[in-house]
Amino acid sequence: MILEIALLCGLVVFSAAAIILRDLLKAAICLAAASLLLGIVYFRMNAPYIGVFEISVVAGMITVLFIVTIALTKTGGDVREAKAAEWIFPLVLVLFLAVDILVAKSLINKIPALESLPEQGTFGEVLWKMRTFDLVGQIGLIFAGVLGVLALFRKRSKDE
Amino acid sequence: MAFLFVALPLVVAGILPLIGKISKKVLPDVVANSVLIILLGLVFVEGRGLVGQAASIQQLSWLGEPVNIKLLLDGFSLFMLFAVSLVGLAISLFSIDYMDHYGSKANFYALFLVMIAGMNGLLLATDLFQVYLFLEVAAIASYALVAFGLGHDELEAAFKYLMLSAVASVFIMLAVTIIFGLTGSLGFEPVSQGLRALDAKFIVGLCSAFFIMGFGLKAALVPFHAWLPDAHPSAPAPISAVLSGLLIKVSGVYALTRVFITVFGLPPDLSTVLMYLGIISMVVAALLALGQTDIKRMLAYSSISQVGYIILGIGLGTPLGILGGLFHLFNHALAKSLLFLNSGSLQMSTGTRNLDEMGGLAKRMPVTAGTNLVGALSIAGVPPLNGFWSKLIIIIALIQAGHWAFALIAVLVSVLTLWYYLLIQRKAFFGKLNEKWNAVREAPFWMTVSTVLLALLCIVTGIFFAATVQSWVRPAADALVRGVQAALGSVGF
Repeated sequence: MILEIALLCGLVVFSAAAIILRDLLKAAICLAAASLLLGIVYFRMNAPYIGVFEISVVAGMITVLFIVTIALTKTGGDVREAKAAEWIFPLVLVLFLAVDILVAKSLINKIPALESLPEQGTFGEVLWKMRTFDLVGQIGLIFAGVLGVLALFRKRSKDE
Repeated sequence: MAFLFVALPLVVAGILPLIGKISKKVLPDVVANSVLIILLGLVFVEGRGLVGQAASIQQLSWLGEPVNIKLLLDGFSLFMLFAVSLVGLAISLFSIDYMDHYGSKANFYALFLVMIAGMNGLLLATDLFQVYLFLEVAAIASYALVAFGLGHDELEAAFKYLMLSAVASVFIMLAVTIIFGLTGSLGFEPVSQGLRALDAKFIVGLCSAFFIMGFGLKAALVPFHAWLPDAHPSAPAPISAVLSGLLIKVSGVYALTRVFITVFGLPPDLSTVLMYLGIISMVVAALLALGQTDIKRMLAYSSISQVGYIILGIGLGTPLGILGGLFHLFNHALAKSLLFLNSGSLQMSTGTRNLDEMGGLAKRMPVTAGTNLVGALSIAGVPPLNGFWSKLIIIIALIQAGHWAFALIAVLVSVLTLWYYLLIQRKAFFGKLNEKWNAVREAPFWMTVSTVLLALLCIVTGIFFAATVQSWVRPAADALVRGVQAALGSVGF
């Protein structure tokens, strides 16, 4: 239990750091650390597949993409931000955490414990045989992402 | 068959970039428009199959073996599919000429079709997670489409939209997760039964609050509307038309209605909250619209106000209220797309969206001025156009249910609506022609075809409103009313 709480606290701290830090590289690494901790939480909650995905995709691949992008873009040209941005986020975060802890506390008492469902087959079976329509949606998401990138970066390739 | 609503646009979207390599303009135009024509035909085929049935769950099979894809097709989803296909077709016809100067047309159509596929998937979904998933498909395509012009304003608006929309998605996901934790299932039916068996008022209330925040953001109801007046005007005109005409209704109103009526059974408290949200949206957005000088911004605020009417009608929860809300949804989809497309014609011809700079354009653009008048009067609710009938039904439903004050506010907002639409009409089209615009010409062929088509639909739906209501809206409302009654455990009100 203590380990779980420590992991979750670390998750919150690293996620907040990813937003607060001004240095993009540090922010990307904090995000990876947060995702790593989340992956471990998944493992400990008996959800190994989602844990593997979280660590390999979010902590691994996406971090690499972020770092490559940061390395390829030029520094300089600081974006000026309103002063309010500096204190609004920490304030909202603290408020949110307070509300979240209160709500979650009452939720945990009120959600009836689910009867453990009968074993529904392997991960692959669940994905392919039970949630097939979701896969169609996934294809849609990938299309939307790829086409979106193609559309947003079209001018640049034309100029060069 | 119903699977084609999702599969066809997705497959075509996948090959469109390749088609774009062969032919820059003509082929993508033909392919994209034929897809929407096929989808519209498919709606009629499916509708014929649905006659006499309350709802059908279609199970897909592949090479003789059943595949676990179940699609829910009832009066409500069919009605929405009809609206999406019809308005989508008009918008895609308009894009033939309008999107020429943006470049990369194949890519535009591909994103547009992915968005259509996402909306159709949401309309056919049978469980809560699929609702979330397809909502995201349509949303991600729409972020890219809002930024399609690549200007500073477009990118900023798209980013703001992305951020607020992501917040909405998180709340929706959170509510779905809690419900899954409560009932152990995701399907509409099992969840609805599970929640009824369970006495968990507090948690259901919490989930409702999350859903209202999520879907309310997607539908741009008033406390959650900040993104819409930036995002909708920044997008290219056809995309403004899809966003205002279809997307906020599918991912906001449809999803909200499905969850609250079919799954939660619209408890009285929720009905009250929805009605107040509707009223606040109507009044606040109408007042904000009055002060705008940017034509697209004014139309965007008007969308928020009209979604308020729809939510007011549906939130009332009586059969007549739901009927009126849905009919208004359809009418608003037609008229608002028409108006946004016309604003695109104006922008293309004059290069500005500022109403103060326009004037007297009716002499140079008679068709645009005429169709715009039809759309404006339709939304403002002037008889015999379609918007009049749907507002009338909503107001009668409110009076029947004893909500006199709400009925009065609805009438007054209607007057406000007429006021700002006449303002558009007067500033842009009537009066003396500004010398600057002597060289302005009427919009190109396909743009005119599309707006005339939508204007005719507004008029025809208005004149034959009884037939439209009987054939499309009534089955949709019935499907929802059954949901309410199943939850109440009684027959009839």
